Amino acid sequence: MVDIEAKNLSRTFEYYRKQRGLSGWLKFLFYREKLHAEAVKDISFSIDSGELVGFLGPNGAGKTTTLKMLSGILHPTSGQVKVLGHIPAQREKEYQKKFALIMGQKNQLVQDLPAMETFIVNKEIYEIPDQEFEENLDELANIFDIHNILDIQVRKLSLGQRMRCELVAALLHKPKILFLDEPTIGLDVVAQKNIRDFIKKYNQEKKTTIILTSHYMEDIRELCQRVIIINLGKIIYDGKLDDLIRKYAPYKLLKVIFNGNGVKLEEVEKFGEIDEFHPYACTIKTKRNEAKDTAIALLSSDLPVDDIIIDEVDVNDVIRQVFNS
Amino acid sequence: MKKFLAIIKVFWQKSLTYRFTVLAYRVGEIGETLALILMWSAIYNGQKTIGALTLPEMITYILIGNFFNAIIRNFLSGLIARDIKEGRLSIFLIKPMRYFDYILIQEIGRISFVTIMSMFSAALVIIFFINTFIWNFDIAYFSVIIVMVTLAFVSELLIAYLVGLIAFWTDEVDGIYSTIDRIKKFFSGGYFPISLLPVTFVQISFFLPFAYSFFVPAQLYLKKIDLSVGLKGLLVQIIWIVALYGIINTVWTRGLKKYEGIGI
Repeated sequence: MVDIEAKNLSRTFEYYRKQRGLSGWLKFLFYREKLHAEAVKDISFSIDSGELVGFLGPNGAGKTTTLKMLSGILHPTSGQVKVLGHIPAQREKEYQKKFALIMGQKNQLVQDLPAMETFIVNKEIYEIPDQEFEENLDELANIFDIHNILDIQVRKLSLGQRMRCELVAALLHKPKILFLDEPTIGLDVVAQKNIRDFIKKYNQEKKTTIILTSHYMEDIRELCQRVIIINLGKIIYDGKLDDLIRKYAPYKLLKVIFNGNGVKLEEVEKFGEIDEFHPYACTIKTKRNEAKDTAIALLSSDLPVDDIIIDEVDVNDVIRQVFNS
Repeated sequence: MKKFLAIIKVFWQKSLTYRFTVLAYRVGEIGETLALILMWSAIYNGQKTIGALTLPEMITYILIGNFFNAIIRNFLSGLIARDIKEGRLSIFLIKPMRYFDYILIQEIGRISFVTIMSMFSAALVIIFFINTFIWNFDIAYFSVIIVMVTLAFVSELLIAYLVGLIAFWTDEVDGIYSTIDRIKKFFSGGYFPISLLPVTFVQISFFLPFAYSFFVPAQLYLKKIDLSVGLKGLLVQIIWIVALYGIINTVWTRGLKKYEGIGI
């Protein structure tokens, strides 16, 4: 079943150019040069129920603008979008009760009060029955381990604790669709991992459809099978992450560790392209299908091989290549 | 109803978190009222009446008018404009509740708190002028005043909301807000009773919403205005409220199409 369908979606923003300095301001008062920026240009995609899709792209690519159109914050300049059969920009209550948008850089929690107060307000706004609220809250508080911080002023919490509370606030009404905009931004590695684990679990258990944008490749690699890559407002790739890696990274990396006296550069060069070299460790690039044979050749050679790891190319490099091509 | 209470409760708690600010506002309020009373006492300087008001009536006008005004006024324009400019509005746009309803409920929460506080500060000043203050316990007048103040609260809220929405196009509304605020204060009789001005001016101001947040209820309290004029005033207020609400709906719909949700 298709949950989200976007057809030829575009959004243009207006802005003005101002010349530098005070004289520029004076001119600006009487004449403003109006410019248009196309944040999203004619994009189309569809997402099935229960999918977890990663939106990738550099800053200003149009990821957040797309999410805002899907959640009804922005009206598209042209094109259509339907989510769960609703047109988001009409902002129907029924639709609003079915999704949640979580923004890593903006928070809905009332800063001056404990998170619990926002939860109670959300309960009323989303019209969640008492018992359901208690059960959901208890379950979510367990998953996110926030029982002991529920009654502390939000301002006094750490960023990681706050993000966990934000997630709980957004999930209390059991949304069918989740838009996550940079949910791990600014968090330390442990907190990032926690949030990631949760997203994975939530998607698997509740069959929630999730769209995730993130700058952290780890997030995408661990969570998303399918990625949509956006650059300059256009979709440049929509498909499986594995296929993308295979297409843009037709080679694997052999990380070889040596012992004894180490090796010389000439000795390892014949095995393939050298990515990094050190007498006791080097990285060799080989074609995907040749990786195993190269490893065998290395092991059976006279070189003092201690260990070999066959690794995938860093996803960051793949994405960089996609943008460059 | 439960939504209403939940939001109000949150607002009360927020207000209580910043007790000092609440208290600081009251100091300014009392100070301004005292300054006005001092000024008028100096102007009267032995004169029996000015513009058909005796000095005790003038003092009562100032005290009671400022009390009403403290209940009626709001600081919404800046808040709404900030929500729009900084993109905080987005958080409300995705929730199954209208932004307007949220603001309205929050204001009722704030005002209920302010009303209690203002009653205390007004009582303090009145005790000070206990010998000059004129009491009026006429039920008919009282009922009209209560309805009028309530309607004035709503119309001021709508005006502020409308001014705030201009931020969809201009980002900032401080300039227009402060201009409107001055016009409002002048027409409302906050600087001095508008009855001191030519009759045409008074007649015009009766067709504007501003006089009903200070001058008219204060004059009603002093029984300087007939009850029938007060009732007509309620009608004028209702017409304004309906018109403003209509304009707000149009501006809101058009503004949202312009909205860019910057910052997130």
